[in-house]
Amino acid sequence: MNFEQFQNQSRLYVIGALEPEEVEEFEKARKKFGKKAEDFITKCYDLHEAFALSLRPAKSSAAIKDRLMAMVKAKKES
Amino acid sequence: MARSKLLSSRRSKPNKRVRITKPRGRPRRPSIAPQVEPGAPSDFELMKGIQAGDPDALSQLYDRYNGILKALILRVIHNEAEADDLLQEIFMEIWNQAKNFSAQKGKPLGWMVTLARRRAIDGLRKKQAYARAEERLQNETEQQPDAWVHNATEEEIVLSDTRTLIRKVINGLPPAQQQAIELAFFKGMSQREIAAKTNTPLGTVKTRLELGLKKIYDGLKDLRDEL
Repeated sequence: MNFEQFQNQSRLYVIGALEPEEVEEFEKARKKFGKKAEDFITKCYDLHEAFALSLRPAKSSAAIKDRLMAMVKAKKES
Repeated sequence: MARSKLLSSRRSKPNKRVRITKPRGRPRRPSIAPQVEPGAPSDFELMKGIQAGDPDALSQLYDRYNGILKALILRVIHNEAEADDLLQEIFMEIWNQAKNFSAQKGKPLGWMVTLARRRAIDGLRKKQAYARAEERLQNETEQQPDAWVHNATEEEIVLSDTRTLIRKVINGLPPAQQQAIELAFFKGMSQREIAAKTNTPLGTVKTRLELGLKKIYDGLKDLRDEL
């Protein structure tokens, strides 16, 4: 696998779309390309952020935050 | 969920207006993420606060991103009440797992989205509602072949700057590529599952995903360069 192919596979990898039989070859290439590969994979995670930001934010119940903060407080005090 | 209810949830306005500005302070890789108001702590600062056990930091991070994460969860599980419950669980996990976040490995929003997506897809599968969700998805797919495209035509809705720019990139893709990415990212489907669902050869699905993701990735890079 050359680096361009690795880049294509990386974008599939970060969204979990690599098929099981592709993962092994991907991991081999990942080792082969080392830091360059890790840096590229990190950049690919921007896709996650972009997909989330492409959605219109949804409104949540105020009670959710109240419950969350109460749980955090209880955990902190325990 | 009824289509009208789904659209209604999409129409909610963000809790806080965000705008795109050039990042200030120490240089980082330019981000496509929305920038916060001047003087407000950055996401990295809030994560540091959470790591130090400061509930106020979590509260601020919640105010900033609960709408985005809820929208993501809703896109996966299509159930308002379950999305609220999951949102609460996810922020609790952010609190509990903050020590595992590393700024070297990415940005806080990316980390939170990865976590939320995984939890939402796990939740969908655990409650064995996959079949029902598929049926709903099938209906929606027939009515609106691509949800991103549909959203872009809702003129009455004011979109945030960041969303507009990102959607411009996504909307530039052929519908078949958008649909493949939608099914992979928001439904957690494998290439084989997408191929079966769309009655498309596996190789074609792979090509659509590769081309579509590359175009979005390159488009985001251009966006960052412009910013």
